[in-house]
Amino acid sequence: MDIKDLTIKKVQEGLKGKEFSAKELTDEYLKRIREKDGDIGAYLSVFEERALKAAGDIDERNAAGESLPPLAGVPVALKDNLLIEGAVATSASKILEHYVASYDSTAVRKIEEAGAVVLGKTNMDEFAMGASTENSGFHPTKNPHDPERVPGGSSGGSAAAVAGGMALGAFGSDTGGSIRQPAAFCGIVGFKPTYGAVSRSGLMAMSSSLDQIGPFARTVADAELLFDAIRGHDDLDSTSLDLPELEPLKKEDLRGLRIGLPKEYFGDGVSAAVAKGVEEAVEKLKRLGVDFKDISLPHAKYGISTYYIVMPAEVSSNLARFDGVRYPGLPEVEKNAETLRDLYFKTRGEGFGAEVRRRILLGTFVLSAGYYDAYYAKAQKVRRLIGQDFDNAWGGVDIIMTPVTPTPAFKFGEKTDDPLSMYLADIFTVSANLSGVPALSMPVKPYPLGGKELPVGFQLMGPRLSDKKLLHIGKFYEEE
Amino acid sequence: MLEKNDLEKLAELSRMEVEPAEEEKLLKDLGGILDHFEELKAVPTDGVKPMTGGTETRNIYREDEEGNGLTGEEAKKGFPEEEKDYLKVPPVFE
Repeated sequence: MDIKDLTIKKVQEGLKGKEFSAKELTDEYLKRIREKDGDIGAYLSVFEERALKAAGDIDERNAAGESLPPLAGVPVALKDNLLIEGAVATSASKILEHYVASYDSTAVRKIEEAGAVVLGKTNMDEFAMGASTENSGFHPTKNPHDPERVPGGSSGGSAAAVAGGMALGAFGSDTGGSIRQPAAFCGIVGFKPTYGAVSRSGLMAMSSSLDQIGPFARTVADAELLFDAIRGHDDLDSTSLDLPELEPLKKEDLRGLRIGLPKEYFGDGVSAAVAKGVEEAVEKLKRLGVDFKDISLPHAKYGISTYYIVMPAEVSSNLARFDGVRYPGLPEVEKNAETLRDLYFKTRGEGFGAEVRRRILLGTFVLSAGYYDAYYAKAQKVRRLIGQDFDNAWGGVDIIMTPVTPTPAFKFGEKTDDPLSMYLADIFTVSANLSGVPALSMPVKPYPLGGKELPVGFQLMGPRLSDKKLLHIGKFYEEE
Repeated sequence: MLEKNDLEKLAELSRMEVEPAEEEKLLKDLGGILDHFEELKAVPTDGVKPMTGGTETRNIYREDEEGNGLTGEEAKKGFPEEEKDYLKVPPVFE
């Protein structure tokens, strides 16, 4: 079975026309995982039996003439920080190596209700902290376009699974760029919805005011279908909300659409390859009738400092729960700990990797007495200003377009010695999380399976709740 | 500038062991990051309201009714150890 140009629409048609069964499709992806993932390392666990059973159910319903749900038979991968009842969920951390989730995340429940077949859980930077997946507590993941380079992060496993043809779609979480940056590095589509558009119930919390779940796919059309399956209000997450209904955008609507290019995103730090790619995308959108306008987001340059204060502060409190008591800890430590204090200190000291510990210490520092106002309170104010920059921009433009990353995928080890250089890889993505706006990362052109060219992507951001509009613009771009 | 005793205090507050061998590298890394944060001092923020969360939604209520939560049995599955219907934890008082 050839999956090279497969899309969700083709899966829907293929199942309906009985060209193939869901089981055949799942078998094909499981075979590809067996053959390829030893080299790539996208998955942490593969659920062969569970996947084949889910596919078999779809085939039975299809044979009985039932109308199938929108993602019927679509093989997907999930980042390992999303809970599935009864399945190991590690967040790629040694501290959770033996943790089995006791309930389903809302997103996973909805994905399965929509008929998708979950193939397995994917590798990531530990607790979603990193931009290369090098911080996984288990193994690295390679970029399918060049095995010497990282797939990006933190959702690097999900991106590599899709770009390597080992899942048709995938889900990840994006706190400061963790969906959009790996999507750009791997030449696929990644979407960070408006804050609240997708329920966070059952997503392991990293930074609760920034985290959002979103999809990865080969096309924007597929990403939209995956997003539609998981979005909407959920009683288990009081920040979740329903998007307003939107008339589908028509191609004519692109004529006269105003897209802003913020000058702060096109400075010296942008590599020639990325600058050229984004320019190519601008030219293509111009051919579709879009008007471009130079704008300024004056506080964007403070995004990294603001983000790396707010996020670690939330990390330090969210990760306090991993204390060796409330979740299965480290067996060796448990055996030897003499006091409760000993158990806490050793579990957390040995169970967390270097980057997670760095962020816990940093977060504890910015929240501590005497430093709170200078760091945390200050960052919360600058966060407001970064959000206001966007609000001001929407007066003059409908959408904002930027690079996703300063460079294409970098090599293993290039940034691991200097954490600040790794943090700066997030420079173009953090503002969307800080202000809560939706942001779409898509490839400048199609990068085929097995291709060797290093991908470049671009980013479209819109006002809060404009998620569907962004996706529709993206669809017209990829159809052109 | 962060000093060794600051780091020890942070480790204490975080309930997390820091090995003496890694202190030097941690101080260097954290110092570099804190230096980068200095740029925020130049941003005028007088009168700016702090943004304290990801949403401006306020006062989210629901009916005070029993929902489809986890049963006691299900909830216990989320905890490593139990004994006679209690969650089992290590001794807290010495």
